[in-house]
Amino acid sequence: MSGNSSTFRPASYREASARTLRDTPEVRDSVGSATRTFDALRTKAYAEVDSDRWRDWAQDVKAHALTHLDEYLEQVEQSLVANGAHVHWASSADDVHRLLEAIVVEHEVRTVVKAKSMLSEELEVNAHLDTLGVRSVETDLGEYIIQLLGEPPSHIVGPAIHRSLEDCRALFHEELGTPMDADPDELAAAARAALRGDFLAADLGISGGNFVAADTGTIALIENEGNIRLTTSVPRIHVALVGIEKIVPRFEDLAGFLQLTARAATGQPIGLFVSLIQGPRTADEVDGPEEVHVVFVDNGRTALYEDDTAWEALRCVRCGACLNICPVYRQTGGHAYGWTYSGPIGAIIAPGLLGLDRALPLPHASSLCGACVDVCPVRIPIPELLVHWRERTVEEGRNSVGERLAMRSYAELAERPSAFSTAGEALRWTPWRAVGKALPVLSGWMQEREAPTPSPKSFRDLWREGIE
Amino acid sequence: MNVSLFVTCLGDQFFADACADAVRLLRHVGAEVSFPLAQTCCGQPAYNSGHRDEALRMMKHTVDVFEDADYVVLPSGSCAGMMRTLYPELAGSSPEDDPTAAETMRNATRELAARTYELSQFLATVVGVQHLGNGLDGQRVAYHHGCHALRELGVSSEPVALLRGAGARVMEWSADQECCGFGGTFSAKLPEVSAAMADHKLDTLPEVDVVTSADGGCLLQLSGRALRRSSDVPFRHLASLLWQGVTGTAESEGRT
Amino acid sequence: MSAREQILASIRAARERRAQVDHPGRFGAWRPEPAPSPLHGFETMFTQAGGEVVHVSSSAQRDTWLREFLSGFDELSLGVGVPAEVAGLGPTPVPHGSEHTAPAGVAVARAAVAETGSLMMDARDGRRAQLLPPILVVLVDATTVHATLADALGAVRADLPAAIGLHSGPSKSADIGQVMVKGVHGPGRVIAVVAQAGLGAYRHASERPSERE
Repeated sequence: MSGNSSTFRPASYREASARTLRDTPEVRDSVGSATRTFDALRTKAYAEVDSDRWRDWAQDVKAHALTHLDEYLEQVEQSLVANGAHVHWASSADDVHRLLEAIVVEHEVRTVVKAKSMLSEELEVNAHLDTLGVRSVETDLGEYIIQLLGEPPSHIVGPAIHRSLEDCRALFHEELGTPMDADPDELAAAARAALRGDFLAADLGISGGNFVAADTGTIALIENEGNIRLTTSVPRIHVALVGIEKIVPRFEDLAGFLQLTARAATGQPIGLFVSLIQGPRTADEVDGPEEVHVVFVDNGRTALYEDDTAWEALRCVRCGACLNICPVYRQTGGHAYGWTYSGPIGAIIAPGLLGLDRALPLPHASSLCGACVDVCPVRIPIPELLVHWRERTVEEGRNSVGERLAMRSYAELAERPSAFSTAGEALRWTPWRAVGKALPVLSGWMQEREAPTPSPKSFRDLWREGIE
Repeated sequence: MNVSLFVTCLGDQFFADACADAVRLLRHVGAEVSFPLAQTCCGQPAYNSGHRDEALRMMKHTVDVFEDADYVVLPSGSCAGMMRTLYPELAGSSPEDDPTAAETMRNATRELAARTYELSQFLATVVGVQHLGNGLDGQRVAYHHGCHALRELGVSSEPVALLRGAGARVMEWSADQECCGFGGTFSAKLPEVSAAMADHKLDTLPEVDVVTSADGGCLLQLSGRALRRSSDVPFRHLASLLWQGVTGTAESEGRT
Repeated sequence: MSAREQILASIRAARERRAQVDHPGRFGAWRPEPAPSPLHGFETMFTQAGGEVVHVSSSAQRDTWLREFLSGFDELSLGVGVPAEVAGLGPTPVPHGSEHTAPAGVAVARAAVAETGSLMMDARDGRRAQLLPPILVVLVDATTVHATLADALGAVRADLPAAIGLHSGPSKSADIGQVMVKGVHGPGRVIAVVAQAGLGAYRHASERPSERE
């Protein structure tokens, strides 16, 4: 379980989402447009292949890996060590921080280049490197943008989708001196030039890992810019942070996952750059890191694994497809969720990684529409898992007493038909507009909508009178 | 053909006229319609909000009420979806149930699921109706696909075909299959995001004479938000619109 | 208990309760349409992603093209394994370690993949040379073009270097206001020079003895 991170605040979801909608409506526009574009690309990419069969295959490989996870973790450790890599294990973010500190101290690391890694955000690595006096530079363009802005990522794949071209122009003008009317190519060229120096001077490169093949000890990374290839090739030391659930059994399995994940995420047949890393440079190689450290991270994943329903969330390949199609996510983007993973996947893993108390109300931030089920490449039954966490919320007494009592009364009435219909009649005649604002449930409705008009007579009455 | 009508808790109080139109439609296609008076709520609001025990109680009650029905028809996609896809999964999951009782309930729900239909689904696939009449006479209709009908029941072409078969022009609506933001208690607990979802639907709505859906909750959400936005586009339940397709006259005007 | 032991113990206990799932077998990349020929497929996919493909069927043709193309640059970065006769066609190569100063580079591919339009780059040919120049020419032997990614991975599995890169086009990003830009970090222009079978133009790292030029 992660330590006492006070920066993660899912509890503020309602307030944060309302504020985003009210104060920065342009975020909804940017996010809406980006997600719809991604989703359209994914739809087309799925249609080019037998996507149902691909997804069934991927679901089964991941389920197989997870139901044999201890064996594969032991195997991947052996394979990586045989390749000359160092393997570490971390139960918590603190463990990771300590490991990084040891490497920083031993190798006198002053600058770090970072490839985009959601796990490193989850573990709050950058903040810790800061405290060690190490300069860490995000090299993925989207991450670079939000690092300059001092913001967390808004989306698993496109961290800066909540920001417009105008925002970027203003930012780069201030930070890099580009002209205010610079076109995207000029902005990108400026970032490239600035970051090139960082790549060449960095002592350490930190990456995540999309997949790790157990039999060959291969860390697979997907990207489009080339910054991950550089991060894992140029500096002397490479540290890969990998969640324990990222294991796939066989090197050849990567053929399926690399293609399916790219199609699901951005509609591409494959990411433009894929790194398949076995370990440090060998004697007959002219370049590459001298040391490779792979850190297998728990940080609440075993808590998820132990849950007989929620463990299915561990199949996730972090493609972001569920975010792109989620009508709830589309209204605000990721910041409102208050932590690293947002959208449907964020809501179902948060209770495992943060604990249910700190994850609330995320499992409730869904209308259960099920659109995510249509797109998930590994067929995670997201609505089922959302309901599961809602049930746990009730079981653990974390919802309001008022709600529990109301639901129990409702169930009691529902078992007594004549009492139910009497109560229904009474409800119809409640002066909604007057009473509505007082009762929490009704006031929520009334805040944004007009009260519904009850039928002049109930159906029961119409039936009794006879329907012609 | 004997049909037992399950009007649902919302239907009884907020869509009574539409449910009456459902009766008329079913009789029109030759069904004998009964209304088991002991019916109450399918349990979906309890299930969705994590109150599994309450959901199970309402499920057991509902299974009892409709035990002897040949067909159970609902003017609600979400409630039909609850009964067809979720009841069998919920059944026998209560820890107090002894194994025999659990097995009995599982069989009962599976068996009930097989004879349960949403109204347009029943008309199109069981009765085989295509052309109800010409009563909708070229009206421009926007059809909102409720999520449960769409994804749990797999019902999407049937209501549209029936509307066209009743003379309506069902208009292209880019957001027609997107969630309206109702989601039961979600709409009241997270009203701002829920309203933003409804806004997207309403912002993309083409010029139409009426908006319709097979789900009462969705209609309340969209019409409630539309009214707050001072829009006067009419919202009518699918059952009423289809009955109008038969008769040519709108018997129940107004928002619901 | 160490973190390792804690993690493994947790997993072992929980998996007892779970039905074991079998591995479903090799990924079959199932598609509604049959795959095109490997070379044609590679070209289609690679150019769709913005890459360029030049076919050469003789060493003379290859040399003419390269001489002409490389004449536009005053410095060049060269990957290990670029044959001497090819290296000699261009300007002075920069020393190893200075690849980032060259305006263009030449490297060799170990293999290519038709299904994904990818060049398979082996670390033994030099990663900097494959990544740092803004314009990259990659020499590809037509006989090394595999139909599927699964085939390609299967072919290299027995002889893996520290790193393999699958490069499937020029570097791109849409992170700036959702507008596509090229050449953000990796090469913004990639040209695959595909030499027909039998040219024997160069030997890939996996086939070379371990001496260096």
